[in-house]
Amino acid sequence: MTEVRNPFADPLRFERRVPECAIVIFGAAGDLAKRKLLPALYRLAYDRRLPASFAIVGNSRTAMSDEEYRQRMHDAVKQFSEDGAFDEDLWTRFAGNLHYVAGDVKDPQMYLALKEKVNATGQANILFYLSTQPSYYTVIVDGIGHSHLASAPDGAWRRLIVEKPFGHDLESAKELNARIHAVFREQDTYRIDHYLGKETVQNILALRFGNGIFEPLWNRRYVNHVQITAAESIGVEGRGGYYQEAGALRDMIQNHLLQVMATVAMEPSAVFEPDAVRDERAKLLRSIKIMRPEEVDSYAVAGQYKGFRQEPGVNPDAQTDTYAAGTFFVDNWRWAGVPFFIRTGKKLPKRVTDIAIQYNSAPLALFRSGDGAQGTRPNLLILRIQPEEGISLLFLSKEPGSGMRLRPVSMDFNYGTSFGERSPSAYETLLVDAMVGDPTLYTRQDMVEASWTVIQPILENWNNRRFDFPNYDPGTWGPAEADAMIAKLGRQWRNS
Amino acid sequence: MSTVAVQPERILKDLQQLWAQMAQDQAESGGVLRACAMTLVVAAEDSSDAERVRQTVGVLMHNHPSRAVILHPGGSGADLDARIFAECWKPFGKAQQICSEGIEITAGRSGFSEVAKFLVPLRVPDLPVVLWCRGAAALDPGPLESLFPLADKIIFDSGHVADADSALQFLRRLRGRGRRVADLHWTRITGWREVLAHLFDDRALKPEEVKAAQVTFGGPAVTTEARYFAAWIRTSLPGARVTLSSGDGPPGLRSVMLSTASDSLTIALGSDHCVEVSGCGRHYRSLLPSASEEALMQEELGILGPDPVYERALTA
Repeated sequence: MTEVRNPFADPLRFERRVPECAIVIFGAAGDLAKRKLLPALYRLAYDRRLPASFAIVGNSRTAMSDEEYRQRMHDAVKQFSEDGAFDEDLWTRFAGNLHYVAGDVKDPQMYLALKEKVNATGQANILFYLSTQPSYYTVIVDGIGHSHLASAPDGAWRRLIVEKPFGHDLESAKELNARIHAVFREQDTYRIDHYLGKETVQNILALRFGNGIFEPLWNRRYVNHVQITAAESIGVEGRGGYYQEAGALRDMIQNHLLQVMATVAMEPSAVFEPDAVRDERAKLLRSIKIMRPEEVDSYAVAGQYKGFRQEPGVNPDAQTDTYAAGTFFVDNWRWAGVPFFIRTGKKLPKRVTDIAIQYNSAPLALFRSGDGAQGTRPNLLILRIQPEEGISLLFLSKEPGSGMRLRPVSMDFNYGTSFGERSPSAYETLLVDAMVGDPTLYTRQDMVEASWTVIQPILENWNNRRFDFPNYDPGTWGPAEADAMIAKLGRQWRNS
Repeated sequence: MSTVAVQPERILKDLQQLWAQMAQDQAESGGVLRACAMTLVVAAEDSSDAERVRQTVGVLMHNHPSRAVILHPGGSGADLDARIFAECWKPFGKAQQICSEGIEITAGRSGFSEVAKFLVPLRVPDLPVVLWCRGAAALDPGPLESLFPLADKIIFDSGHVADADSALQFLRRLRGRGRRVADLHWTRITGWREVLAHLFDDRALKPEEVKAAQVTFGGPAVTTEARYFAAWIRTSLPGARVTLSSGDGPPGLRSVMLSTASDSLTIALGSDHCVEVSGCGRHYRSLLPSASEEALMQEELGILGPDPVYERALTA
């Protein structure tokens, strides 16, 4: 369908407009729906970003009426709404658009009931959201296909949002993609990676490609190495059953952190259009050097915190990695030889996600007064993703007083304070993008497969060995082997 | 807040001291963060208007932290007085206060022409300067004109002016001289424009099918917002005949009717700050966004570069 330009468009002043549609959520009584999806949709309504006519149709196995579902979501939205933004009057209007269909996703009759409910809303456009256990994804997609829910009338659309994980290895990812494509076209498939919806991750592109000063320094000539850290201070928090099947490598590195790395290291696209940006991310992911089997022990480290095996639902002999670290290299002219160190883990000392770009030290240690080591400290550019979104540049400055003593200082840009407007949550951003049909921040099939290809040798190695777990104490920065991994290349983790 | 003699260097020094003092005072309770993204110069009409401006600026600073310079005439002499202030707020759930700074300058009528040279060193280096000229006098600026070269964007409000054509001529003249201008009376019709634009997104109407548009305004004389609205439609639909007509009710936009060969669609001002859309198979109400001065200024301060749609409507 050719898009006709609206002569009245004024993108500087008009909000991107969400078209009238129905959002069908599978797993509508689950944690994600309660904590993220419904609060995000409610917040969009609060900010008047939803159209006057829209519908949300939830499905799960729990038997509930529309009214009971509304009450349950009322409590969830009230509890999980950011900034305490909750208005009972608005909720009453919002809840009028909430509907519910109870039933098993394996039951073909459920799709007929769902179809009836969606038809009753009068919405022509439908956005399906898979928020269930991953093992149900193909069942649901098949069910949507068989019931013809995926067939859109002329001028309308059907889109599918899929939550991670997109498979559990390369082969299963390919199989999942094939099953999805039997019902939905790739351009209608939105694989959500909520990290890409975070303002700071988007801001990496603005920082790199909207400014003149950074890009000339963004290469192997000036960058010594890059560290990407996603640390959580909590444990599995009741998700032991799911987590012991996934592990940190699959749960974080394969998707979120490799996507972040791709955003940091990708080449600029010629235009800021969905496929142009995604092409560059995909190219970067395909350029990551694949570890040879004999390299895995040197370049990847698994860890498990003490006490994980005692968590509810966890096998007392579990070999799950609650910590994973890897050293990755990019085989292209810009990054050849520059290590990208990625680590993630649970029960680490604090909750922090950031990217640290460490520059080479000044070539000559000119200042040798009292503190010689400080005098040669390298510059760091830190892109903070959470909890405080922002950017810091660390450089050396002269201490006040006589003599020439240098000390590191930090120049901080705080996203929340420089722009007083509240940043939308990642789910608000991504839901609006899917409804307006902008897949820029969503992951494409080739990107998913490229990142599994990077991870596959590590998975194979780890699946075929027994670790001496647990190997780190809660509240520490992970196993000693991770320090050794980075030290072998003459670097050390920023543990601050 | 403290009063200081108007010497720019002295004002800047006092601001530095103010920040040092605030940092010391707030050290125990999370500290203060100084935020600044632009210099916002506001030319108030008089001292009571300056008080209103201070409140408005306090709201604007949350989204557009700036060094605010509020100018207002006081007395007939040539004296200049200044006082400095800080505007602070605490983001939800945070201990640290965010603060922006302000300078209020009172200038005697005959000293007003001297203000420009004081403003030069008071601008925050390398950040944009926005000048907001308030009131009807702004469109007959007199000594304020000397401030125009300092500003990257100059905001007026032609809603205060009875003669729409003269106001538009003035703005066009400034635009012709290379100044980037904005008019809050244009900002007031964003809600109307958005409702109309959505009809074309929804394909309720197709651009090529619209043969005529009739914009109706209330009040004794045509206003700039009606002129803007008609000009915007004309530049967006060059093939349509666009007319302006006067109707009942208070000044301002009352309705717009778009006609095709076989049908017509009307957007009309309804009750409760809503517009009603009817025709071409559509019938609904849409709430217009807030038209408070703060809301209008928030929108304008969000656009510091070219605004091609406004410029097209202004110069049409």
